[in-house]
This record gives sequence, structure tokens and C-alpha cells, in this order.
Amino acid sequence: MSDSKAKTTDFGFKTVAEDEKVSLVADVFHSVAAKYDVMNDLMSFGIHRLWKRFTIDCSAVRPGQSVLDLAGGTGDLTALFSKRVGPTGKVVLADINASMLNVGRDKLRDQGLVDNIDYVQANAEALPFADNSFDIITIGFGLRNVTNKSAALASMFRVLKPGGRLLVLEFSKPESELLSKAYDLYSFKLLPKMGQLIANDPDSYQYLAESIRMHPDQETLKQMMEQVGFAEVSYHNLTGGIVALHRGYKF
Amino acid sequence: MMQLWPQLLLSLAEKVLADIIAMDQEAKPRLKRLAGKQFAFQLQELKLRVVLTATDSTILLNQHQEPVDCAIQTDLASLKRLRDPNQLTQLIKQDAVQVEGDLQVAQQFSGFFQQLQPDWSGKLASYLGDGMAHKVEVSLKQMTRVIASKAQQLDQLSTELLQDELQLTPHPLEVEQFSVDVSRLQAKVDRLQQQLTALQE
Repeated sequence: MSDSKAKTTDFGFKTVAEDEKVSLVADVFHSVAAKYDVMNDLMSFGIHRLWKRFTIDCSAVRPGQSVLDLAGGTGDLTALFSKRVGPTGKVVLADINASMLNVGRDKLRDQGLVDNIDYVQANAEALPFADNSFDIITIGFGLRNVTNKSAALASMFRVLKPGGRLLVLEFSKPESELLSKAYDLYSFKLLPKMGQLIANDPDSYQYLAESIRMHPDQETLKQMMEQVGFAEVSYHNLTGGIVALHRGYKF
Repeated sequence: MMQLWPQLLLSLAEKVLADIIAMDQEAKPRLKRLAGKQFAFQLQELKLRVVLTATDSTILLNQHQEPVDCAIQTDLASLKRLRDPNQLTQLIKQDAVQVEGDLQVAQQFSGFFQQLQPDWSGKLASYLGDGMAHKVEVSLKQMTRVIASKAQQLDQLSTELLQDELQLTPHPLEVEQFSVDVSRLQAKVDRLQQQLTALQE
């Protein structure tokens, strides 16, 4: 472990200094925030809605619970949770990016969801909440943008109540070789073009495709969760492993 | 891809259900009493366990195996009999229905759905106009009446066919008569037995 190595991290396929990644990721999301939902629907052919519903199902959320939706972005998961926890429960939508948080807040308010949602701009690596404060924590398509993933997972473990669960919804490694090839073709050839056409921002979508490849695969992420203390960690591959949902408990 | 079909199905069903509940103006106050309760329902024939969560304005659908306020598991055959509240205890005794948790929650949910009366014609009128919507409603009602009476006729016809024409099953009265005869015979045999033992001694 040389010093220079310890201070760098991946940003897509590029290697950048650790303190630089936060602002680089921030630039990406400031730039895509406005068109984020449209692009999600287009890029995933709408399937991301089902991935998110699957996450809610796996959370087994009950009325009255408190939920933290980390890297909640435009609030898709928060909206689903907010209706389910009801007036006695609470959902905290946290994102490190102010632009995304604003888009999310506007969207949720337009849907009439105001009573039980708090908005917090926070870094997942150092969560500004007391120990043992949430029944459920979700991080949907956010973990791969975090600079120090283990620190983030440890921070989530800290704020989770004993008996609570963490759900990590994230792009992962396709199970079959054939799907993997088609997926590569799609995400490196087509995706930046779509980003250019719709959001006028091919670089951000190039980063998206690259960062997905750099993200740890299913087994690695499972081990990382176990290392910071999560118990009974399991994962479901969705849509052939393009996306995986990891679940771990704190006991 | 296949594993996501319950999510697709339930998200569509949730939308439809929300629309139907919104069509019934009296549903909301009744829903207030249910709000915050969770009820799970599973048919043995399907793997799907549907979890219903009541909120102030609608009922949300999810799918998981974890504990809820009340869970009911049954099969298709018993489902029809479940409609009749008097049969419930019997069905539980026969193990045709498994109930876990607060049965009252299940009754409240079932009561809510039974009392749900969406104002279809009101909604339809906004598309077709009042006159046309009324016509559609009347003819639909007529059609359900005709179907119901035809179904009843068919029911009676098949009963008569089985009992009188083909003589495959006895009439309930015959069964009753038969069991009365059997118990009479039993009594006679008992009496005879006692007389016999008295004579032997």
C-alpha cells in the first residue's frame, strides 16, 4: 500500500484523487438532475420502477416505521415508502447532491406527499443521525458513486436500529455471458448517444456506464456488508443480474 | 425477468384499486378506520402472498412473507365458502383456512371491500354523457340479472338431473330418512341385545 495508491479512487474508468471524486460525481448529478427521471425510464425501458417496487417488497415496511432513503435522488423510493409508513411513520430522503434533492422535493410535493418526509443533504460516509434511529435504510443506485464504500456501509450500520435492515439496490454483474455482451454494447454504444440526444450530456452517461463496470460484483458487495457487521446478508439478481438487491440485517 | 411479474401485476392492481376507491365517495371515511393496518392473503394454488396496507385514501399492495397484523391462507375451493361468515369457524376447524393474527382485521378488510360501491356510471358519464351512461348501466344491470337467473336455472337443472333422472345422488330428505331408519334399527338391535343378555343370565 503506497501512499499515492491510498489517496486515489476510481471515477468511471479513470483514476482520480480521493477528494476529487465527490465534486466530480456532484458535477455529473448537477448536470443530469433535471432530466434524471425521463432518462431512467428510457434507459431501463421503465423496468427501474419494478426494481424499486421489488425493493419495497423486500423491506416489508410497516406503518409507523422510520425509513432512511439514502442517495434518494428524485425520491422514487421515498414516495413508495411515504405512503406505506403513514402519518405515524417517517421517511428521510437524503442525498449528497443539492440539485437532486431539489428535484426530488419538488416532485414529492407535487404528488401531495409532504407530511412525513424530511429532506437532508448528507454524505453517506458520515451520516448526521443518532445511532439506532432507522428501521429500514435503502440506498438505490447510489453506493457506486460513494468514494469510500466500506465507510458508508459502516455508517449505515451505525444508524440502523437493531433488528433493522439495509437494502442496497445497485447495478451489478449480469449472470450470463451473452446478456453481458449485449449489455456492454447497449451501455457503451447506445447510452452515451441517448444521453447526448435527450439530456445533451454524453459524458455523464459515459460515466454512468463506466462506474457500473467498476462497482463490486454481487459476492464482493456481500462480503463488504458482512465485514462492517451486517448479518444474514443475501442478494437477489434482478433482470439477469444487471441489477442486484442486497439485504442485510443488524442484530 | 420472470421474477418481477408480481411487482408488475401488483403495481397495476394498486392503480386500478386506487381508482375504484376514489370512485366511491363514502369509501374514505370507512378507510380511516382501517388506516395503518396490514392484511396478508395467500391462495395455496399461487405462490403469491399479497399484503394489503390501508392508508387514509387507498389500499396499497405488496408482496412478501413477513409478519403482518393478520394473514389468511386458503385454497380456491374454500375461497367461495369464505364469503359466508358463518362458515369461517368450520373452515378453520377443517384446516381449509389458516389464520394468523387478529381475525378482526381480516373482517374489517373484507367488510370494506364488500361495502365498496364505486360510482361507475358517474365516471362513465364524464366520457359518454348522462343519457348514454344511464343506458349502459341499466343494460349492464339487466345482463347480470339474466346471467344470475340462468345460473340458478342451470343449478336446479343439474340437481334434478342427478337426483331424479340419473339417480346418482339422493335427495337430502332421503338421506335424512335413511339416517333416521338407521338409528331406529340401532335402537332395536340394542334392545334385542339387552333382552338376549337378560335371558342368558
